[in-house]
Amino acid sequence: MTKKPGFIERIAESIGIIPNLHKDRDLDLPHLTQTTDLTNFPPPEQWDDWVEYEAKAHPRREKKHYQIVPTTCFNCESACGLTAFIDKETGQVRKFEGNPYHPASRGRNCAKGPATINQITDPDRILYPLKRKGKRGSGEWERVSWDSVLDDIAGRIRKALQEGRNNEIAYHVGRPGHEGYMDRILQAWNVDGHNSHTNICSSGARFGYAIWYGYDRPSPDHTNAKVILLISAHLESGHYFNPHAQRIIEAKMKGAKLMVMDPRLSNTASMSDYWMPSYPGSEAAVLLAMAKIILDEGLYNRAYMENWVNWQEYLEHMHPGVPVTFENYIEKLKETYAEYTPEYAYEESGVRPEMIRETARLIGEAGEQFATHNWRSAGSGNLGGWAVARTLHFLNVLTGSVGTKGGTMPSEWNKFKPSFFAKPPAQKFWNELHFPNEYPLAFFEMSFLLPHFLKEGRGKMDVYFSRVFNPVWTYPDGFSWIEAFSDESKFGLHAALTPTWSETAFFADYVLPMGLASERHDINSYETHSGKWIAFRQPVLREAARRNGKPVTFTYEANPGEVWEEDEFWIELSWRIDPDGSLGIKQHFISPYRPGEKVTIDEYYQYIFERVPGLPEAAQKQGMNPLDYMKKYGAFEIEPHCYHQNLNEVKPEVLEGSVVDPKTQVITKGGKPVGIMVKGKAVEGFPTPSRKNEFFSKTMIDWGWPEYALPTYVKSHIHPETLDKSKGEYVLVPTFRLPTLIHSRSGNAKWLYEISNRNPVWMHPQDAQKFGLKTGDLVKMNTDIGYFVDKVWVTEGMKPGVVACSHHLGRWRRPEDKIGNRWATNTVAIKNDGQGGWKMSTISGIKPFASADKDSSRIFWSDGGVHQNITFPVHPDPISGMHCWHQRVRIEKAGPEDAYGDIFVDTNKSMEVYREWLKMTRPAPGPGGLRRPLWFKRALRPVDELYYLDNVNENGSLKEGVGQ
Amino acid sequence: MKYGFIIDNRKCIGCHACTTACKSEHDVPVGVNRTWVKQVEKGEFPHTRRLFSVMRCNHCTDAPCVDICPVEALYIREDGIVDFDKERCIACKSCMQACPYDALYIDPETHTAAKCNYCAHRVDIGLEPACVNVCPEHAIISGDMDNPESEIAILLGTQQVKVRKPEKGTVPNLFYIDADDASLNPSLTTRPQDTLWGRQEGGVGHFAKAAEKMAFSNPDVVSALMEVNGQSTTADEVTANGKARSVDLLIGKTPRRVYDTPNKGILWGWEVSGYVWTKAIATGAILVPFVAWLMGAMGPNLEGQYWSLGLGIFFLAATGALLVKDLDQPTRFVYVLLRPQWKSWLPRGGYAITVFGGLMALSLVLLYLGQTMALVQWLTAAFAVLVAVYTAFLFAQAKGRDFWQSPTLALHMLVHSLMAGGSAFALVNLITGAEAGWTQFLNTFLMVSLGANLAILVSELATPHPTHDTHRVVDMIVRGVYRNRFWLGTVLIGNLIPLALLFVSGGSPVMMAAAALMILAGIYITEHIWVEAPQRISLS
Repeated sequence: MTKKPGFIERIAESIGIIPNLHKDRDLDLPHLTQTTDLTNFPPPEQWDDWVEYEAKAHPRREKKHYQIVPTTCFNCESACGLTAFIDKETGQVRKFEGNPYHPASRGRNCAKGPATINQITDPDRILYPLKRKGKRGSGEWERVSWDSVLDDIAGRIRKALQEGRNNEIAYHVGRPGHEGYMDRILQAWNVDGHNSHTNICSSGARFGYAIWYGYDRPSPDHTNAKVILLISAHLESGHYFNPHAQRIIEAKMKGAKLMVMDPRLSNTASMSDYWMPSYPGSEAAVLLAMAKIILDEGLYNRAYMENWVNWQEYLEHMHPGVPVTFENYIEKLKETYAEYTPEYAYEESGVRPEMIRETARLIGEAGEQFATHNWRSAGSGNLGGWAVARTLHFLNVLTGSVGTKGGTMPSEWNKFKPSFFAKPPAQKFWNELHFPNEYPLAFFEMSFLLPHFLKEGRGKMDVYFSRVFNPVWTYPDGFSWIEAFSDESKFGLHAALTPTWSETAFFADYVLPMGLASERHDINSYETHSGKWIAFRQPVLREAARRNGKPVTFTYEANPGEVWEEDEFWIELSWRIDPDGSLGIKQHFISPYRPGEKVTIDEYYQYIFERVPGLPEAAQKQGMNPLDYMKKYGAFEIEPHCYHQNLNEVKPEVLEGSVVDPKTQVITKGGKPVGIMVKGKAVEGFPTPSRKNEFFSKTMIDWGWPEYALPTYVKSHIHPETLDKSKGEYVLVPTFRLPTLIHSRSGNAKWLYEISNRNPVWMHPQDAQKFGLKTGDLVKMNTDIGYFVDKVWVTEGMKPGVVACSHHLGRWRRPEDKIGNRWATNTVAIKNDGQGGWKMSTISGIKPFASADKDSSRIFWSDGGVHQNITFPVHPDPISGMHCWHQRVRIEKAGPEDAYGDIFVDTNKSMEVYREWLKMTRPAPGPGGLRRPLWFKRALRPVDELYYLDNVNENGSLKEGVGQ
Repeated sequence: MKYGFIIDNRKCIGCHACTTACKSEHDVPVGVNRTWVKQVEKGEFPHTRRLFSVMRCNHCTDAPCVDICPVEALYIREDGIVDFDKERCIACKSCMQACPYDALYIDPETHTAAKCNYCAHRVDIGLEPACVNVCPEHAIISGDMDNPESEIAILLGTQQVKVRKPEKGTVPNLFYIDADDASLNPSLTTRPQDTLWGRQEGGVGHFAKAAEKMAFSNPDVVSALMEVNGQSTTADEVTANGKARSVDLLIGKTPRRVYDTPNKGILWGWEVSGYVWTKAIATGAILVPFVAWLMGAMGPNLEGQYWSLGLGIFFLAATGALLVKDLDQPTRFVYVLLRPQWKSWLPRGGYAITVFGGLMALSLVLLYLGQTMALVQWLTAAFAVLVAVYTAFLFAQAKGRDFWQSPTLALHMLVHSLMAGGSAFALVNLITGAEAGWTQFLNTFLMVSLGANLAILVSELATPHPTHDTHRVVDMIVRGVYRNRFWLGTVLIGNLIPLALLFVSGGSPVMMAAAALMILAGIYITEHIWVEAPQRISLS
């Protein structure tokens, strides 16, 4: 395409005084289309030898031969499709593009997708297993062999199991994403050892949903909605950022109205038609005001409510004597919510009454096409944050938009559940370190109280796995974690399974490198839209090796260094825990295809894929088996839409022998509700005791919270009434995320860090003026247990009276931690006075460094931000168990002795705050000696008998003879 | 066939996916970008919005970068893509001055210019550009605008679109749907050192190397380097009224730019102002005697004539040396002559310099032989004028810099050349002594040229400015960051004091020499300001 050389140039080139730059410029690869149209992806039949020109050589025609292998992204939870372009010459991944066959991400990605290559090539990544030398946390490591690691850990676990110390083994997960795999492992070990990050993340919202209809996550069908109401920032973050953002904007382009409630101008709020900058914690008041308008103006969906709300139960319990008619129900509803006028909501939230009226009417008019979402955000910020999801779902119920086209489904309708071979039985242990009696309704493990529980002497951890999990940094009260981790009587052995260094890995005994997105196996299935799909995360170099006829036995053989993948690690570990099979563990890791042999990773997935509805047929059409199909395409759409699953008829085999309660119409079998009669049909309904949406929750009454029997507004711990403005007390919203980063896991991605590398405190000009602050000035943020010193960012995008600070940033390492995310980490000095006082100060910011990647010497940023979470006390919500993130802070201008990045925490005060919040609980037992409602889901659910407190031994195991 | 882009701001959510996908496809180093998402906030709470704008090469139909590129490293393909060939690039950074959209950068790895090339290597085999593929919202639309059935053609036909800086006459082929001027017009906001989520502390692109070197030695030096490179202060902050405006920005009265890519700094530094200065001396040394001869006044004696050619040749060599030094690919300097792109004033100037040098050498031979040839004299003088003024035409091709579009710039450079030549002889005379007639001529000549220079200065700075950017540059010069250098260096030392000295000198060689030194210093300072100040204006 270059022009012919001019006269002078031609002569000069021909006599050789300048190089000939007209060579290798001619096009010789075929064009994929017949016209000038462009297509977005190489055709799959060419994936094994895809040839394209190398961009860096252009316009010289350097041909690159690639093998294209799909996998899924490992940054946020969405698991969007990626395809690795493996350079056939070097055998390395050159780049990641999207996967057009992925039903959720549809070939597209956010900034974090392409940046996966940074994580793979990060010069600071961990390539070999490391064992600590010297004291825990001393920063000294030595390389060890995987064999010795596996033997050491397996021996220790075996001993614990043999001694009945099953509850001293735990697996604590930050980023999950391998549907059911760990449950299998832990149940095979008979260990109640699943601990997750959920209670610092989403369990507030989960509780709000679950108390309504048994499902704990919403799945909005944005594409077909007329109104989308987000109490979240799904155009930039959250589950499922990229898939949701695609569909929200699609709907918007079709005329849908986008409403966003957020005290901060998020990118999402910025794209909205209605931005409602509500005071944090007041969201439920606004939602109830909307509900009131919908009720008063008759905009509700009578047909839906009549059939699918337990209003009869409500009237009978709460208004005995009132005839049980739907009209009376509506009357009572109106009475109940009469106080939630838009004016009242305005007082609480600052959202203008006119806007509340206007949006409520639009919602009412949208009817069944009303999509909503609330994930973390308000649900995770506030005491009673679960009430936000509960009142939000109330709007879906009122409009009848539950499970409809354009409405909001429960997540489980969209999630595929794999079937396993040799499935182990439910464990016969209940670990009260995860599910203590104070929190019978806690929706997930009380993970963030672990150090406090250990300090109280409630137990110990003999073998503790942290997996892509960084509580020291991400959790509140990180110094209490450091204290606990440093104490070998609390944590016997801490193995950090992680692809990258983290503040938590610094305090491990083993740091075990695990694969990144393209270096591991997982299956993924998420509620990204109306359909149901599965995707296959796979180690791409391993798959390439197989295709090239050089298969490897273990993934680490194809991965860089000795980077393992967890799937294989757990199988190996399980075999070594139970070498002779006497513990009954090994039997779950025997190949379903080759009797007596150890299961291979391919067999594990083969078994699952062979049982995915429709997949074997789709594969056969292409002349493949299901596993090879997934290896080739990386994803499969099981169903395009999953609406109205509550109307699924109860299967005849289930109906057989069941009984119908004449009054409630609930169908039960063996005492367990399995469906409901609606309009003369036996349908599945929802997994609640009433099989309906539970507007009225008997469960809440039974478990000691009668004041919350109905969806209501709970005043937050940071309600203005609790703040003394004269002392400079404000609410800090510390939770918001950026589109470019993912918690503490993206510190190894240079392209993400060059875009965002610090986290100033957002403040409205009015507030800034009050404190005499301007952008860039230092501000001291005093929390209940200490303080942090950050810079101020003055912006009109912040609600006056509220300040906010993003997490992700403020990563650190100590001088003794020589490497680790140097793109992202400040170097800090940590001083402990031995009395619970901890001081952190910044020695230096992010600095350029020499490495094999020349970009590391070009780091042009130095401000790594400030670690705020470590200065927060724990705030466990007494009902949902969610950590309530919002903080009461006393703001002051930093003094001359304060330096940027200074942090102080007193962990004695942390314990005090913990005890204060603990006092708010209403502990088990509940009705019948239960420690948890039987109908409540539980992560890694043990046998039902363990739900009864009387059935449990001292060590957490099930008493002999119970339920046998 | 003409490929173009639409950025649909109804859909763009500011996620930066295009940024990283591009980095991945082209392996773009940290610090520089082929495409990026500028973010601007406007309005007051709660009536406020954050605007996202994808910024990149506009693939102009009349691409100024192509016109100015001396070696055809930038070129427009038949399909409309503005492509580049890094192997041809000499990294003179002219394209970065010419592009009104800030699309180009110097790649710290290859030390050549680079920019978005529409993923031409993908388009050639029928694939969409990487950014189009990755965009979650399909907010970047590519396609053949000449095909009426293409999505892009349909959107262009049915939607209201905008382009950046249409007044530049570049005919951009990147269109925005639903774009706000606060995003598209860089003059409405200032480029921040602190962004929403980041902060720039070191140099990038052209300056990356220096930053790297210094970063490892002493972190404090990095900020010092930024200061030197003019990266830590924005145009608005340094103009006198900039301070007040910053306060406005803080309290949100005007749009605020909250995310932008790192500042590339001042690309043409002392080497360029230096070469304009040495070139003025070289050409002036020839022109002043020529004018004397033309006017029938007394010229230099034989020794003076040797000085004339000697100075001319020496300073022309220095000019060449500085030109080469300014290149990030100095060894490719011969490409200017051997791969010339004739529309650019760089090869034109390069050839002019070469011919001028040859003519001076010839004149030297003739002088040695005692011969005079009027033709050679005339030719040498003509080339001296060309060499003296061609830079003005080059600067005029730098369409990104409004201030350089001044029609008096050529005159300004010619007068500087005459002043420099006169001053050089005034200094020579101090060493060699000279006839009174020649001295008297020089004295008058310098006074006249100073007068002319002041007139040009007034006309350049005081006439109403056609664009906002020019106005801001003038503001910077007379009231802002350059005010001391301008009033003290240019006006007083460079013009008024020497004028006064010459007025009272009565032909005193010492006083003339003193005036000459001041004039030469003044010219350098002036050229330094004139070269540097416009580069402080943010282009995107």
